[in-house]
This record gives sequence, C-alpha cells and structure tokens, in this order.
Amino acid sequence: MTPIITAVLVLSALSGILTLLLLVAEFFFANYGECTIDVNKGDKTFKVEGGASLLTSLASQKLFLPSGCGGRGSCGTCKCRVIDGGGPLLPTETPYLNDEEQKSDVRLSCQVKVRGDIKIEVPEELLSIKEFETVIESITDYTHDIKGLRFRLPEGETIKFRAGQFANLFSKPYDDVKEETSRAYSISSAPSDNKAIELVVRYVPNGMVTTYVFKHLKQGDKARLIGPFGEFFLRDTSREIVCIAGGSGLAPIRSIILDMIDRGISNRKATFFFGAVSQRDLYYVEEFKVIEKEHPWFRFVPALSKDDSDHPYEKGIITEVVARNYGDMTELEAYLCGSPGMIDACCKVLASKGMPADRIYYDKFS
Amino acid sequence: MKQTPELDRIQKKMQPGVLTLKGFLGHDDRKLADIIAADCQTLLRLGINAAQITERLQDLADRGADLMEQEILVDSRYLVRVRDDRGKIPSPWGDGLFEKGDVDLVDQKTGKTLKWNRLTLRLISKHGFFGGYGSEYRIDPDVACEILDLKPVVDRSPESI
Repeated sequence: MTPIITAVLVLSALSGILTLLLLVAEFFFANYGECTIDVNKGDKTFKVEGGASLLTSLASQKLFLPSGCGGRGSCGTCKCRVIDGGGPLLPTETPYLNDEEQKSDVRLSCQVKVRGDIKIEVPEELLSIKEFETVIESITDYTHDIKGLRFRLPEGETIKFRAGQFANLFSKPYDDVKEETSRAYSISSAPSDNKAIELVVRYVPNGMVTTYVFKHLKQGDKARLIGPFGEFFLRDTSREIVCIAGGSGLAPIRSIILDMIDRGISNRKATFFFGAVSQRDLYYVEEFKVIEKEHPWFRFVPALSKDDSDHPYEKGIITEVVARNYGDMTELEAYLCGSPGMIDACCKVLASKGMPADRIYYDKFS
Repeated sequence: MKQTPELDRIQKKMQPGVLTLKGFLGHDDRKLADIIAADCQTLLRLGINAAQITERLQDLADRGADLMEQEILVDSRYLVRVRDDRGKIPSPWGDGLFEKGDVDLVDQKTGKTLKWNRLTLRLISKHGFFGGYGSEYRIDPDVACEILDLKPVVDRSPESI
C-alpha cells in the first residue's frame, strides 16, 4: 500500500512542479508585446497588446465583427480573412468553415490569437459599425409574446443605417447566465430617427437574451448595442414591391416603409402582407392603416391563419393569401422577413408566380 | 464508456446559462459518459436504435412544418406544433449550429409529450445524447419507443445502436 501512496504523491508533486514551470514560462515567454493589426491593406491599422483573441482585440479598437456567442467559439459568425500572421487553422474552427472558406484563409476571429503583427480583410461596411451605450426609453407590449424597445443613444451620438438592417443587443449577466450575451434583432425605426433605435423582440422560450429582455430589462436601464449589420435593405429600383413578414419579422419591413415615406419614394407600389395566427398576434395595425390612408402607393394586408372569429382581415396561411392576391409577379420585387420555414414557403409561391430568385430578398432569422 | 477530458469540456458547456438558458442536463448530476451509456443500454434492451427515433421525430416535425406555427393532428394521434424562432443554437460538441424552433408533440393515445428541436435530433443521432433527467428536451428512449410505436430491429448488436 505504501509504495502506491508514495507513487501517487511523487506523481502529484511532479505535476505540480510542471504546472508551475509552465506558468513561469508563460509569464516570461508568452508576452507578445505590441502587435499591429492591418485591416484591408492599410485602410486601418491598430496597435494592440498581444495575447488576446483577434475578435477581442478588434473590439477594443471599436471594430466589431458580428458575433452571436460573445467569442466562445460556438456560433461561427465572427469570420474574417486572415491574410498573414494568424497561425494554423484550429480544430475548433473547422466545423464552422466550409472548404472554400478554409482555402481562402477565412478564420474565426474569436479563435485566432494575436501573437504578432497580423493582416486581415473584413467587408468594408463593418468599418462603419459602432457600439452604443444606450438607455431604454420605453418598453411596449405589442402582443402576448412580442415587445418593442426604444433605446436612446448617448447625447450627441447618431446612428447611420439602412432600413432593414439589424443590431446586436447585449444582455447583462443574470441568474445562471454568468456572461454578457448578445443576439441580433431587426431595427424597426426609420433611419431618419437617428438619435434612437427601436427593436422588436419576440420571446423565445428559454432564450438567454429574450428572457433577459422580458423578465429583467426595465425602462431607464442601460443597454449595450452594436450595429448596424446586414444585407437586407430596399434595393434602389423602380419596381413594385411585395413585403411578407410574420411575428417579429415586421420590424425591418416597418423600417423600410417609414424610410420610403421619409425619402418621398411614391413611384413604387408597395404591399405588405403580415401573417399571424390570430388577432392576438397582430400589432402596428393602426399605424399601417394610417399609412395606407395617407399614402396611396401603400397597401397593408394582415392575414390570420387560425382565427374563426368575425374579423376584417384576410383568412389563411400567408402564402395562400399572397398567391390569391397576385397573378403574374414577373416584374415585382419581394422583401421577406420571418422564419426559415416561412421564407422557403414564400419563395416557392413567388417563384411559381414568375418572380426571378435574384429579386427575392430576405432576412431568414438565422 | 469513459468520461474523457473532452467529455468534461462538453459537459461544462451543457450547464445552464452557457449555451442555453436551462442547459441540457436538467437535474441530472451523472457524468456525461454515464448518461450516454445508460441510454445506450436502454436502446439495447428495447432492441431499437437511435436512428429509428430521430427519423420518426423528423418525419413528425416535417409534417408540422410550413404551417406558420399552427397545431396539426398527425396520423389521427399526434398533436404537433412546430415553432420557428430567430437564430441558431450551437452544439456543445462544437460540430455545428442548428436553427432554433421547438417541436411540441402531444400523444393523444397516452397523453405523454415530447419536445425537441434540430439540435436535439443531432445530439441523439451523432452523439447518442438524449438529454439529462429533468431536461424538458430529454427524449427518453423508453417513452419515445412507447409514444412512437417503435418495433425492435432485427440486429441487436451494440454496433447497430
């Protein structure tokens, strides 16, 4: 028995000494000093202290790459091209990168450690993304599971975005959630309303940020936002447009319609089909009805899929309602926002009506 | 099955508040390796395999999809509602992101319920993880076998599970 105990003690002591040596070595040798991050071939250069992740280092310089998990390596969204200095691709990155991305030096910035000078490439529009420390101006219950939040930006600050884009909202640690977490929500306000941001949030059962919004966030609280992000916005054409949304997908469509009014775009007919299950899921109806009255180019069509009560709205699933409202749609343009299932079903209907796929724009909630 | 350091790392990600609000383990305090091994034993006892369960659940989810969250009665027995939510959930194994959106099933014959999403099916089919005791997303093999009327497969070797 004694030799076994001695062996265990010796092994434990050896492990302890090795750990100590590693810690000492890290202190002396893992000091990477000041490193330079070159963005887009010299468009921007940052001097940062080495040792942190690329995502964190960029954020410290106010360059925000989209990230859904706060740098935990679990969402795969903080991608950028690392042209030089990124080190070898890590096994933690490969599940999130396809072959083409791997060949093009695309990396997960949260997994790349800045250990020396590094050269990266990011989409141009990311350079205009800003962080805002806002104050909750109001929280409105729109339906039983949808809230509207208005965030007031700090005095003197404004946000520039395209109607249809989204922002990342950060929750603070609460209950079992020990770290700040962020999720993307579409902006529902108009770009002209640039001293504030409005978001529409639908409650997701067990969702980390929506639970925070629904159970913890109050008027007057501070909240951190980063944005704008996204490629969903009104294209600059003269085509008639059809917008289709469900649930919180109404948000970017509202922003687009308000923006059309602000910019005086009255030469394009626009019809907004909003799909809901029953009347309790409808919101912003009065506002859209007023817009409809004041702007002859706009039509609002709420549709209820399962409500047998006597109501003035269209009946049926939104795809059926769109299908029976149009003949040929070859010359139209579509803007869709909702769940992947809804988007896929809408795309099928629009294609069957002759709409080319490259004129269907969508935000698939993913 | 041995609880490797890799499984330790994965089990940490399964705790409440890390990847999801309530985590993946419910009130189960067993090691992840033991949870997986116990459910594997149950499958062996029942003579069914994980694919039978996931394929049937996927079929039921597909039949409730594209209905804009309306409830549907499938096979005159199962009330199915497919919810669509914004965003994706990462797998604790780090092998992908899966669209959110729960499927709720009520078996009118037994009154029992099941709840799952795309990640649940992935964890079962790829990793043999059915959820910890008390997790609302646990697909208990015994319960699934009863609700889904699964018949034993001919091959009962461990490799077929």
